Amino acid sequence: MEDKPVHPYERMIGAIARLLNDGEFAATGTLSPIPAAGCLLAQHTHAPNLRPMIYGDPANRISEGLHEFFGFAQKGGVDVFFLSGIQIDQRGSINLSVIGDYGKPRLRLPGGAGSAMLYSLSRRTILFTMTHTKKLFVPKVDFVNAAAGDGDVRTPWRRGGLSHVVTPLGVMKFDREKQRLALDYVFTGGTVAQVADNTGFDLDVAGREVPVVDPLDGESLRVLRGPVLDKLRTIYPLVCRMVWG
Amino acid sequence: MKIRDDLKTVKDPYSGEDYVVVPPIVPDVAVIHGLRGDRFGGVTVLGARNDRLLATAARKTIAVVEALVAPDEVLPGLQEVYVAPLHIDAVVVAPGGAHPTACPGRYEADAAHLAAYVAAAKDEAAFRAYLDTYIFGPADHDAYLKAVGFARP
Repeated sequence: MEDKPVHPYERMIGAIARLLNDGEFAATGTLSPIPAAGCLLAQHTHAPNLRPMIYGDPANRISEGLHEFFGFAQKGGVDVFFLSGIQIDQRGSINLSVIGDYGKPRLRLPGGAGSAMLYSLSRRTILFTMTHTKKLFVPKVDFVNAAAGDGDVRTPWRRGGLSHVVTPLGVMKFDREKQRLALDYVFTGGTVAQVADNTGFDLDVAGREVPVVDPLDGESLRVLRGPVLDKLRTIYPLVCRMVWG
Repeated sequence: MKIRDDLKTVKDPYSGEDYVVVPPIVPDVAVIHGLRGDRFGGVTVLGARNDRLLATAARKTIAVVEALVAPDEVLPGLQEVYVAPLHIDAVVVAPGGAHPTACPGRYEADAAHLAAYVAAAKDEAAFRAYLDTYIFGPADHDAYLKAVGFARP
């Protein structure tokens, strides 16, 4: 196991863990194995007092349903939440509803669930994607399910917004001033050009050096493939078998 | 609002802000799945699902349960919540009633059956054959479980 090459998803887990601070309340939603692992890794390394709430964790006892968690988030209890989308654009808007025209879609998806509320009422949101392609990172999403920040429309109840996007190639950071994404760093083994080639919008890299970073050191990798994976298998057995065997 | 011109706004009398309000969904019938229930309509369901919310919202609610027990045995387990008889119109005792999806704590999702369903759904004739074999063919629930090869836990 120790000798197995590092999987891009493992680097994503390391990158997510580094974005979490000790003592924070971090929650993950449905189909979010990578963020769940990121929370667990942070808890097992630099953030022992992180309070993760991983949806689907049999050890996580709740009193009732999703609306309980939604109410908790509205009250201001969630420091960090994780979202994704079938399309993500330069402004950090996410699409979970339709590809094509809303009235005559080429593809209709399950929809945004609580994403719009959680995107504005969690203190910050980290987006994660399982691929990094131009089909996913588009100049403008076909439908905005949830917006990263207040652009054209003022949302008086907004508490937070997008902080970072973690992909199999690297990490983007949301620039609050410019209300747009910029490339933060590239994972070891990749290049800025490779990320740019697979992104449908400008990454704001002109005139600056974007670092190449391995967010997962040897000790973190050992912890990830040890106790973190043991726990993750109880929550996401299928995904774990696919990635780690 | 651009694509949903049926939605309306109201002014919050406290903050003065305008809010979009969405009318509540009131299902005619909700079908929920529980681990156990009694003959008066008390049932336990998984807390992480929104079954209790559904039951309280719907005009009529049918609870499918894995087992029929005495009223004082309708006790929610660690991941469950109790739904009172007030919200339940019928209890159907059907062990394996969540198949091919999972009933966490009892049985896993039937991944092979779901894959076969997805494959069959891509083609009109194959889907017709699926319906005949598994939905219209079996005379009752036991026959369905036999047809899909469901092993009782």
